[in-house]
Amino acid sequence: MSEQFTDPFVRWDTFSSALWYRTRAARYRLEGTRCTACGEKFFPPRTGLICPACHARAMEPYPCAQSGEIVAVALDDLGFPAVGYGDYMPRIQAIVRLDDGIHLMVDIMQVADPSEVRPGARVKMVLRKHKREDTGAWVYGYGFVLDKGE
Amino acid sequence: MGKILRRVMMIGGAITPPNIPMDWTWRQMAAEAFWNALQDAGVPVKDVDLVACNYNDRAIADSSPGAQIADALGILPKPVIPIANACAGNGIASYTAWNAIASGRCDVVVSLGFARSDNYDAMEAMNSQGNYVDFDYMMGLTHINYGAMRDSYYRRKYNVPLEAAGHWAYWCNWYARRNPLAASYSKPMPVLEELCADTPEAERDRQATNRGGVASAMVFVGEDVARKYTDKPVFFDVAYAFRPPYIGNFFHYPVESMREYDMGELPGLMVAAREAYQIAGIKKEDINVVQVHDLTAYEGMMALEALGLCEIGRAKDYVLSGGMTLESKCPVNTYGGGPAFGHGSAGSDFQAGVLENYWQILGKCGERQVKEARVGVNTSYGTHHSLDVVGVVQKGW
Repeated sequence: MSEQFTDPFVRWDTFSSALWYRTRAARYRLEGTRCTACGEKFFPPRTGLICPACHARAMEPYPCAQSGEIVAVALDDLGFPAVGYGDYMPRIQAIVRLDDGIHLMVDIMQVADPSEVRPGARVKMVLRKHKREDTGAWVYGYGFVLDKGE
Repeated sequence: MGKILRRVMMIGGAITPPNIPMDWTWRQMAAEAFWNALQDAGVPVKDVDLVACNYNDRAIADSSPGAQIADALGILPKPVIPIANACAGNGIASYTAWNAIASGRCDVVVSLGFARSDNYDAMEAMNSQGNYVDFDYMMGLTHINYGAMRDSYYRRKYNVPLEAAGHWAYWCNWYARRNPLAASYSKPMPVLEELCADTPEAERDRQATNRGGVASAMVFVGEDVARKYTDKPVFFDVAYAFRPPYIGNFFHYPVESMREYDMGELPGLMVAAREAYQIAGIKKEDINVVQVHDLTAYEGMMALEALGLCEIGRAKDYVLSGGMTLESKCPVNTYGGGPAFGHGSAGSDFQAGVLENYWQILGKCGERQVKEARVGVNTSYGTHHSLDVVGVVQKGW
């Protein structure tokens, strides 16, 4: 930022702390939901929502598996600075199939050799800093790293 | 499905050309498309019973856009139904128009869309322009990221070569040089070999180009009143379906029509196509011109598969064997597609395809005219295929 233009880059976000508060369990520990009527598991959580499989309205918290394997990979060299994701380029993103069958689209963190991020590679969840919310506080949430069994 | 009381016919339409003046407001754009469509159809403003309007100018229009649009179009106190559902929301607008006419409640309905995409301000923050807001978009994963991931996955799953994507972009550009409404109309024709290269530049050229601000409109009437305005109406039918908005849920979502598919297919589009064909009374073999909404070449091929024109994973063969050309049994993207006609978002992504098929059936497409075009199908989608729409136009009586 130039000294002549000290105002921060205008971001589109008016993200509220309340919204981040509501999503905390899913962001911090991958808490989804499970339908108590048919057993289907969901992420993001469907708390209070209707099950698309059996149409019951009976969800309970469900702790998703925190490890799995990569099924697809893409490189993001642009980021999304307008909503606070302009740093740490390029980002390596992946679709991950958790060990309980749930799929997520996530950032793969701490990659030394991008060629190791490929379909079939094992990954595990970590808690990471995502961005600052409008209060200046850090937003934390899930990310994934390669799991080399070390 | 309920009882349909009468057929719906399309009698005119219009779309703004690329590079509209920077100082046009969204109201001016909407009025331009609305006015020109009514002129094309020979319908006076006073005859319009209802307007269904898709928009993506959230910053200025959210909360009460209906009255603002009705005022801009000069139709007050008649109703406007405002619709906001991303790039394919025009499909919902035309679905709304279709229902109003098929039920007999309205005789003349206009489906309108506009996108003044430089109208952003900070209120954009909470709109769902990308994916599942809370867990994709808010965590920095956008529909652009989805597109890259989907292409990578589709290519790998079905072993789709770069050459197929290069040919797709080439033929979109070939048609666009013959369509004055296309964004790439007056630009140099790209070289096929360069479009097939494994370079970042070629990858960019195989994707959609931007149209900037755009508006479009289509005029629909009941079959029994069509003769009042024209002797060349075409039948119009439309259907749409949703897919879960969270990208992870593309894998084995627990409903019958989607459980067996993943990110390499478009099951929402399959559902919409089945319903649209049924309502229109056609079979896939009847289709002889297709326009798809393709922000990337791979996505265009996936759409052909979902429409049933090719087996799943085999659109690459259709493209590489000349299936997109005018000599084909069913030419594809004669309007220029995403790579060359350009991405118009809420302003045109659905209606551009309908309008092209409408003009094809009327024989108005000049050098890009398909011989004996009788049944045209088009597709469009919103965000990352959380909304998929299929439109069908057929030669009238």
